[in-house]
Amino acid sequence: MRFTKSSLCAGVFLLAAGIAPSAVLAQGFGSGYGPPLKVVPPPKEFATSEEHYAYLLEQAKGGTKHTLQSVPRWDGLWNTAGNTHMEAFIEGQGFAGKVREGVLTPEYEVAFKERWRQQVEDGQVHYDRLGHCEPPGMPRFLLEPYTHEFINLPLESYLINDFGPSIRRVLIGKQHSNLYGTHSWYGDTIGFWDGDKLVSNTKYLYPADFTRWSPMTSNQFETVETWELKKYPGGIERIEVQATFYDKFAFVKPVNTVYAFRRGTDLEKVDYRVNHWECDQTSNSFLDDKGVTNFHLPGEEGFNDGRGTTMFPELPGQTRDPIYNTTLPTSTSKE
Amino acid sequence: MKKLFNLPVALAAALLTMAVAEAHHSFAMFDRDTQIVKTGTVQRWAFNNPHSWLYMNVKNEDGTETLWSFEGSAPTGLIQRGITGDTFKPGATVTFMYCPLKDGRPGGAIGWAKLGDGKYINPADGGCNGGEENQKKWADWLAKGYTSSKDAENTQ
Repeated sequence: MRFTKSSLCAGVFLLAAGIAPSAVLAQGFGSGYGPPLKVVPPPKEFATSEEHYAYLLEQAKGGTKHTLQSVPRWDGLWNTAGNTHMEAFIEGQGFAGKVREGVLTPEYEVAFKERWRQQVEDGQVHYDRLGHCEPPGMPRFLLEPYTHEFINLPLESYLINDFGPSIRRVLIGKQHSNLYGTHSWYGDTIGFWDGDKLVSNTKYLYPADFTRWSPMTSNQFETVETWELKKYPGGIERIEVQATFYDKFAFVKPVNTVYAFRRGTDLEKVDYRVNHWECDQTSNSFLDDKGVTNFHLPGEEGFNDGRGTTMFPELPGQTRDPIYNTTLPTSTSKE
Repeated sequence: MKKLFNLPVALAAALLTMAVAEAHHSFAMFDRDTQIVKTGTVQRWAFNNPHSWLYMNVKNEDGTETLWSFEGSAPTGLIQRGITGDTFKPGATVTFMYCPLKDGRPGGAIGWAKLGDGKYINPADGGCNGGEENQKKWADWLAKGYTSSKDAENTQ
């Protein structure tokens, strides 16, 4: 058994901190790695995300002009390491808490209370929009597990989650642009560097949510985020994202939260590769007639065999299970 | 072959995966209050995103076989627990615990699995509890001949 210094410290840190499941859940997926996350609110209130972003850009005197040599490097694989967004919406611990009133607008508060009721009373929200393979979108990108990669270049950054996969492009020093004349799952993100901090502003987003047991967001949801790599004793490295969310339809006033990512050292040690995948080709979940998630099983109409053959099964080498060559009963659906 | 197990990392991963038991869908279709143990042979281990699926051939009392389907966690979560695309080989005999689909079809959420070498592993997502404590509880129940959590709990 091999004990590296950083992994040992992480394990000792968790034990020493006496982290219990409830505490882990309190700060969301993957929390408990490093000290508790703390929200750093903006220096003052702003009416819009653009006003907020412009203020930060001015404070940074137009931003740091990085070169390929100086731009902060966050290479490698990252996992989610907690967030505080539920604290903004829920009063009390975890699923024992109640919806915090006056944070969401009346319509969004009613909708969220129904989600929370399902979660608390029925043990699960009945259906998740990702069940029919919608992309996580923003702000769910910041929370959804799976593997993240963050590639920084002087004029752009790629923020990647292998769920979907999802890619956010942060264009450094640009103005917003929307040639499509509509919104999208990851919107349009501009940014600048303030030393080693990446500051961004995202607009033009589709309606989405934080998770299925969290509030929904509208097509006016916008963000100002500050991304920074922080280092803590014991070799712990954590990217912390201080985010302010603006949404005139969903929020009474802007919401401040913090999200985090930890290095995926365990994945890197076993040479994990992020592969391209598409939910549509491998997922078998669907919304049934009771309004609940269910699955198509092998042999049933609608079953999607992610390791089956292509449209040309008569040709050699057309299976997507080339190592084991297993088969499952095919769908009974008529072509 | 690179070493997959490291105690502190495993400890951290165990804590972290409790919180990562998130799926791209709800778990409302599973009866998470019922845990059942079966033994079968692997038809396919689909180590795919967004979720892995274990397809098992299980013998019925009349000698026929039924193909059962069990959902597990996403590959990134499983790799952090030492489980890969090679863990369940086609034809291998595996004893496993699952939480059934509420509608009675042959499927459910995988809990723990006991491989041919007697080692317990946890391929579960949030649909069923495959954790170490539950594995220990089940080792005791299995030794007493139980294959259903309801039967075991009702006699205690």
